[in-house]
Amino acid sequence: MKIVTKAFLRYLLRRRSLSVLQLLGIACGVAAVIGMGLSAQSALSSFSKAVEFLRGSSTHLIERPAGPIDEMVLAELIRDPSVDFFAPVVDRRVRLADSEAVRVLGIDPFLDRVVRPEISSAYFAERGRSARDEPFSFFTDERSVMVDSNLAAQLKLQPGSRLETSQGVFNVTGTFPNPSGEPLILMDILNAQKIFDLKGSVDRIDLIINDEAAFRSRWEKGFRIESKRQRQETLTALLYAFKLNLQALSLLALFVGTFLIYNTAMFTVVSRRRDAGVLRSLGARRYEVVAAFLTEIFFFGILGGALGAVFGHILSRFLTEIVGSTISTLYFFLKPSPQPWSLLTLAAGIALGCIASLLGCIAPLIELILTEPVKAIRGRVAYKGGRRKAGKIALTGTGILCAAAAFLLFSFYHVYVGYAGTFIFLLGVSLFTGLTVMFFTPLLKWLFSKIGGIQGKLAVANIRKNMGRTAVAIAAFMVALSMSIGLGSMIESFRHSLIWWMNSQLKGELYVSTRGDADVPEDFYEELKRVPGIGGIDTYRNVQVTYRGTPVYITAIDASILQRFTQFGWVSGGNENWEPVKQGSVIISESFSRRFNVKKGDAVAIEGIEETVRFPVTAIFYDYTTEHGLIMMDRSTYIRHFMDRTINSLGVFVDPKYPEREKVIAEVKRRAQGRNLPIATRSELHDTILSVFDNTFAVTRSMRVLAIIVAFFGIAGALMTLFVERRREFGIYRALGFSVRQIAGMTLFEGIGMGLVSFLMSTGVGTALAMILIKVINLRSFNWTIFYHFTLDPYLLAGITAIAASIGASIYPIWKVYRTYPQIQIREE
Amino acid sequence: MQPIIRVADLWKYYGDDEQGEPALRGTNLEVAAGDIIALFGKSGSGKTTLLNIIAGLDRPTRGRIEIEGQDLEALGEQGRTELRRTRLGFVFQFFNLLPTLTAFENVFLSLELAGLPDPAAAGAALTSVGLAGKEGRYPHELSGGEQQRVAIARALVKRPSIILADEPTGNLDTHTGTHILDLLVDQCRLAQTTLIMVSHAMITCRYAQRILQMEDGIIMEDRPCEAPGP
Repeated sequence: MKIVTKAFLRYLLRRRSLSVLQLLGIACGVAAVIGMGLSAQSALSSFSKAVEFLRGSSTHLIERPAGPIDEMVLAELIRDPSVDFFAPVVDRRVRLADSEAVRVLGIDPFLDRVVRPEISSAYFAERGRSARDEPFSFFTDERSVMVDSNLAAQLKLQPGSRLETSQGVFNVTGTFPNPSGEPLILMDILNAQKIFDLKGSVDRIDLIINDEAAFRSRWEKGFRIESKRQRQETLTALLYAFKLNLQALSLLALFVGTFLIYNTAMFTVVSRRRDAGVLRSLGARRYEVVAAFLTEIFFFGILGGALGAVFGHILSRFLTEIVGSTISTLYFFLKPSPQPWSLLTLAAGIALGCIASLLGCIAPLIELILTEPVKAIRGRVAYKGGRRKAGKIALTGTGILCAAAAFLLFSFYHVYVGYAGTFIFLLGVSLFTGLTVMFFTPLLKWLFSKIGGIQGKLAVANIRKNMGRTAVAIAAFMVALSMSIGLGSMIESFRHSLIWWMNSQLKGELYVSTRGDADVPEDFYEELKRVPGIGGIDTYRNVQVTYRGTPVYITAIDASILQRFTQFGWVSGGNENWEPVKQGSVIISESFSRRFNVKKGDAVAIEGIEETVRFPVTAIFYDYTTEHGLIMMDRSTYIRHFMDRTINSLGVFVDPKYPEREKVIAEVKRRAQGRNLPIATRSELHDTILSVFDNTFAVTRSMRVLAIIVAFFGIAGALMTLFVERRREFGIYRALGFSVRQIAGMTLFEGIGMGLVSFLMSTGVGTALAMILIKVINLRSFNWTIFYHFTLDPYLLAGITAIAASIGASIYPIWKVYRTYPQIQIREE
Repeated sequence: MQPIIRVADLWKYYGDDEQGEPALRGTNLEVAAGDIIALFGKSGSGKTTLLNIIAGLDRPTRGRIEIEGQDLEALGEQGRTELRRTRLGFVFQFFNLLPTLTAFENVFLSLELAGLPDPAAAGAALTSVGLAGKEGRYPHELSGGEQQRVAIARALVKRPSIILADEPTGNLDTHTGTHILDLLVDQCRLAQTTLIMVSHAMITCRYAQRILQMEDGIIMEDRPCEAPGP
């Protein structure tokens, strides 16, 4: 059967345009999956590398449950027999002139020699080089820093350069290699303490200890001790929901990609039906015919998969940057480096291309080999059985939808169950495509015959009678458009929920130091309180603590001020909820409540500086600041239990009765600028939050675009296949008096018709998908409620995309019509 | 002598159930080895259906077919495939050449499937149908008559005992059609191959030893050549 294989493979050259479209289709499907997967992998591995690099060879760290740690502790640590080495650290961030946030590590190079030999050796090497000039400038010059070589190259810095930051100008004394990929600035710990106003305190102490149990028994009270593994787990837990989100997007890409590859593989089989019949009539066995098909399909799978792996690798470089920027905005600074090209990527692409192709051709191949040769030899057949067949398929779809509903109902077990339910739902609704095409046929026939006359009418009939080909392409496109609508509606609803939340909670006229890179001195807070016309000032302190072994946040605020000036979104009750907070109770975010199943009236036990404190929960409020859970308490309660007076930012409320509101605002601004503290008006803060929100969904938006591109190739492939299969039919149309223009018009109407049906279906499916994403996936992943908000934009975008993509997909077949049919051609191929 | 083809009480309904008009309604036929038969009948009378069922390309609803004494149904799918590989040749109205194979490759394919991959035999078969020098051409580079010659060479090259030709001249002009019939019948006589030709063309009578007429799914008694169907 070598000759048959040869015959099949020659089709690829003979129908070059179709082959290229099919190859691109598979490649795009694979690229979407590989690109998303690689960028997620880059982010997570960079994260591990960064943690590993910064922690060096330390085995543990010790810190206060909240806030900085007094450096007097160091004297006791020296004497502790379990401690072999220790290294105090100031770990802060500054903003560069381009507003990029960079980690600043204040270290003692001598104490760090064992704990972080890579960093300290860089320091000593640099000191050796600059020994003649200024051997101790790193210590003596308060503004002296070392910059990692990647950042130095990026900013064109060298020893002697000046680096402008939100904490003033730094003098670069040297550079050091940094394999973690995270931009890093080093300075002497004493200088860091001065710059960040941490007199006598450090953020944490990294340790190498020899007896953990003994050490813990001595330092349990008032401190948090974390092993390297625990630290990694804590940080990984912070990324959990984000990781889930990336995985979901990868799966989404896989779903659309597989759909498209399925489409391509199916076309290969159905368009070669007649050849299979001829072969069978000549005595070819079923398995021989199958083998010939599989050769072609695997050829596509391998080549398309390999191409997809290359595309995916390129795409991952772009996506990695977006993913890194999102993680940096939401969690902790991370600048992931794209994964290097690897043969494994190629293998994954090929495997994906082949598996999806195989999946795609199974059903039509089985159907083909079970068909009597005489039926196969007839080649392309009109979609028979019509409504009955479509009805049967839709009935199967109904069964699958029931399964999807069951999965979604049981999603409380794990969000993966929810994801499975979502994909099963999409699969189920896809099976309604045939029925939908039949349902819309009269309407489309009427519409297209009004617009395009006979060719419009015939185009609709062609879509209907070739449903074996068109339905899968319509379904693939419909799924892509539904995802666009679903994700778009979800994002829009989330945005509106966020705006509602901001308008209820962030009602201050001015906010001082909200960017997280400069704390507010307490005396400045006292000073502002005395400014005439100030109605109240809310102090804001946010710290990460551990609750039931996982990271959560405590926020200390001024309950009286918030009670007076804001209207929180309470799950139940109103501003009277603040009263118990003033007395020492806490309120918790909805995400905290759902995550730990803590209800109003329960108590949460948190490790304080002296003892474990049980805080009664007085109310639950809607919150979108963190999915990990938030415990909010009055500042006085916080100071009492955590001995931390740090203020991260201030919310300033002007007295509503004060006549000169603008004057007060100007005065606060003037005083903040005098202290070099960043200040933002309410609308500026809201805009910043919304811009962070929009950046966060950059990956999701990229996936929407990818899904559309993938689906575009689906439609283009379907149209091209129909064109190739119907060359003779087109000749007959010409013989009947059709002009080339009319045939081209018919092809265009077919494309638009398919796009239109896809869009009409996607409006319903997309809305349902949005509800699933909001009510099931988001709630389960992030534990917060998003309120559904209808906006027309995602639907308009999908509609425009559908029409544009179908017109775009028709262009090549139309060009082929003009090129191929200047004369009448009825001859068999 | 045992007939090479025996058809007994053959029924064929299209569709899932036995509803509507059958394409074959209890037809019977016996063909002796080496016979050249012309089968006439109106469109839709069941000629092609009968041919397809004899070739094992389609299956009857009821009835029995024996080829060289073997019950087609009992042979199973594998047996029928084996039969088509070695004992049966088929010539179609629309040639059904594989478009991506050259004339030579189309013929050689038949030998390859029969387990006789002899390139010289493929070349000789093409020469015998007058296509020497055109072995490397693809079907679209050949005229209709030439394509049908390739199809005949493909059917004959494996030396089958039966050739079934479904309107072999139906897609050709009269002149070319006559040439094709000359060629087909000569080759079959030479190889003592049984030939059943479904046709509308009166000229086919000239070549046939037996003339059969099919009406509404039943083969009527042999008719003289002067009274073929339209």
